[in-house]
Amino acid sequence: MMSKESGSCGKCGLCLAVCPVHRVLQEEQATPRARIQLIEAYQSGRLPSSAYLKELINRCLMCGSCAANCPSGVDHYSRFMSMRAEMAKEHGDRLEIRGLVYLLARENRLRLAVGAARLGQSLLPEAFQKKYRLGEIALRQLPALNRKPFRDEVAEEHLPEGEVRGTLLYFTGCATNHIFADTGRATLRLLTALGYRVIIPKGQTCCSIPMLYHGGIEAAKENILENVRCLDRDGVNAVIVDCPTCGGALKKEFPAMLARYGEETAPAEAIAGRVTDLLSFLYEHLDQLIPLLNTAGEAVAVTYHAPCHLKNSFTPGDRLLRALPGINFLPADNALDCCGGGGTFFYEYPEIAGTMAAAKVAGARRSGASLWLTDCPVCRINLAGRLSPDDTLSVRHPAEFLAHLLGSDRINRL
Amino acid sequence: MLNADVRTALIDIIGKKRYLDRPEELACYAYDAFLEESLPDAVLFPQTTAEVAAIVRVAATHRLPVTARGAGTSVCGAPVPVHHGLVLCFSKMNRIIEVNTADRYAIVEPGVINADLQRALAPHGFFYPPDPGSINISTIGGNVALNAGGPRCLKYGVTVDYVLGMEVVLASGKVVRFGSRNVKDVTGYKLSALFCGSEGTLGLVTEIILKVVPQPEAVRTVLVTFNDLDDTARAVSSIIGSGIIPVAMELMDKMTVNAIEDAVGLGLPREAEGVLLIEVDGISEACEREMRRIVEKVRECGAVEVKEAATAQERDQLWAARRQTYGVFAKIAPDIISEDVTVPVSKVPEMIRRIREIGKQYQVAIGVLAHAGDGNMHPLIAADRSNKEEWARVLESFGAIFAAGAELGGTLSGEHGIGLAKTPYLPLVMDQDSRDFLKLIKRAVDPDNIFNPGKFV
Repeated sequence: MMSKESGSCGKCGLCLAVCPVHRVLQEEQATPRARIQLIEAYQSGRLPSSAYLKELINRCLMCGSCAANCPSGVDHYSRFMSMRAEMAKEHGDRLEIRGLVYLLARENRLRLAVGAARLGQSLLPEAFQKKYRLGEIALRQLPALNRKPFRDEVAEEHLPEGEVRGTLLYFTGCATNHIFADTGRATLRLLTALGYRVIIPKGQTCCSIPMLYHGGIEAAKENILENVRCLDRDGVNAVIVDCPTCGGALKKEFPAMLARYGEETAPAEAIAGRVTDLLSFLYEHLDQLIPLLNTAGEAVAVTYHAPCHLKNSFTPGDRLLRALPGINFLPADNALDCCGGGGTFFYEYPEIAGTMAAAKVAGARRSGASLWLTDCPVCRINLAGRLSPDDTLSVRHPAEFLAHLLGSDRINRL
Repeated sequence: MLNADVRTALIDIIGKKRYLDRPEELACYAYDAFLEESLPDAVLFPQTTAEVAAIVRVAATHRLPVTARGAGTSVCGAPVPVHHGLVLCFSKMNRIIEVNTADRYAIVEPGVINADLQRALAPHGFFYPPDPGSINISTIGGNVALNAGGPRCLKYGVTVDYVLGMEVVLASGKVVRFGSRNVKDVTGYKLSALFCGSEGTLGLVTEIILKVVPQPEAVRTVLVTFNDLDDTARAVSSIIGSGIIPVAMELMDKMTVNAIEDAVGLGLPREAEGVLLIEVDGISEACEREMRRIVEKVRECGAVEVKEAATAQERDQLWAARRQTYGVFAKIAPDIISEDVTVPVSKVPEMIRRIREIGKQYQVAIGVLAHAGDGNMHPLIAADRSNKEEWARVLESFGAIFAAGAELGGTLSGEHGIGLAKTPYLPLVMDQDSRDFLKLIKRAVDPDNIFNPGKFV
């Protein structure tokens, strides 16, 4: 029944061509088509529940490329999410994954945990940080946590100099709030420089996507409702996200999940209609952005990695980099390929993620660039984790690169 | 479940990592893009010819069915292991062994994805013409087994026209080689052709030598609309009859056009009874002249609108409609059947008329899409298999379509293959003696019937 509502799989196999996990494993059981068949076999009682079934369902990046390319309109995303929840219920989850769901469900829990982790980061001896790894990434290759959550560090409202062109809501996501404050600062600088009043609504919290991937469907409800409450405002030109995954959540999952919870969906749909990723917003305001950028002098060579959720919910940001004059943009031949980050995927399946990330690094090196831009914080952590600290290549959010061009002094290296 | 000794023998050959037999895994190798499913007992991923030969020897000793599989995108059930046994999945035997554009050939293992081969050839200015709809994922091994075609096969021919030679593992476990690296080769029987379209019933192809061709210098594309479907079909036979061979000549009828417009709104003329997408390629000047003559011909046949693509982007837009068709029909109902009955091109107008009559007679909505230039029709029906009454009418209408095709001197399949889908209809186009000859070959080559049993032979 459900399959008919959300599009029925015709087993054509076209999803195999776009599935990053299948590209590495080259096995049918690692494909979106197989997962749908397994879910149907399980739901019809032909296949009993098992820990291995859970494994096959979960060995997926949740990148959404299958759904985005499915001729039959199968909603892989929702069906995988429901099945993951069911499997987590029946077979449990790894302790650290359960912990993640628990922490993300409440902002104060997350703040406490980040605080403790930050203390840990500064106390851990160098040798320990070198030896211990998250997936294939050495601990010391992981980014340092923010000294203070970004949203505590900055005011709720930011006014541009001069005339106010409009009002934007900025949904910062957990990564900017707790890890990449520089991305947040850069985003604020860019948006106010364009003449917008920027509001970072208090009360925003985790978009809930990590919970939804790991069976926390009920735990996510309060987060979604809170976020909708604080983003549902009149007189707003757009809701800006710097993280494509949060953006996809606001655009697609919030209305879908509220419908599923039996809650009112109209406010979420209104938000969904206004949400846009930062680079798309800048691209739409190209004429206003170009005069603000100082691109005199020797330009740093930049390349780009397109995050899957940006590709599948919005538009990759390379169109902006191509359109800006004076930028030394060197596209990588595999810029659109998945990096293997996938939320917690790089940690749960280090071998598969390692193969994908290695191919990405090779592509970025071939491009000859020294600065590697990507919008997604997980892609950033995953890719930066494969580079040595003194590597010629470094990874940044495009906002940081562009905000530097706003200054009067041209920088050659971030 | 295989007995423990056989299992151990197979794992000894291939290792644990490339041997699957957990129920969760087997469930993933029971299907292709056709409707029927059947579970294998084990799935193996060979990576060398020696492994394939060793597996076949074990299978032959125990009379275990062996069914080859590539990406599982066949639409006729060819890789579905209806007699269970072993599925040999070639997805991990996927090296491009050699690209030699000086001598115009490429040597590949069967698991190489068609699009990956194209990517390897493109920097040399070459390509491999067969372009099935599954080009981005289907394997060359699968393309050979099904003798795959595609839109541009009108001008360039299908898979069999590009296979120069191959290495095959026989049912005895012996490894034989047919053909060579030479475009001209009449040394003995052309046995590589026998294996094209054999659907894995004669042996397992482990290496393929393919002819590759230089990319054309220019491409010209035009989209033509007609107010009458007969005019559309007449235009097709008139162009082909005049000696022009376009790369592709795709026909869509009113129902197809309207289904596309309902779903994706590409701005196609809804009132049009027929739309033709025509493409020519080659030397610029020749393309120019051919296109001029094509436009004259379609106007003579009553074309009401002729839209030429001036840029690559416009060409993409014209093709968008054609590419969307499968998806559009796939979304109309849970199940979709796309058949590929093929008739001589002069019979295309008559065949389209018959398909429409059959649709009326059985009260099923049939969209007509065709690689019209080579008479390869793709009648499309979107239906719900769980609606027994409707489904019975769908099956009957297909039976009637095959019979009509046969009556017009056509054939059951232009490019999809027979598999499970069309075996019952074989007598429509092959008499008893001819079918017996297929069996004679099968029995001579595979006396114990271990290779893909239960299929058309």
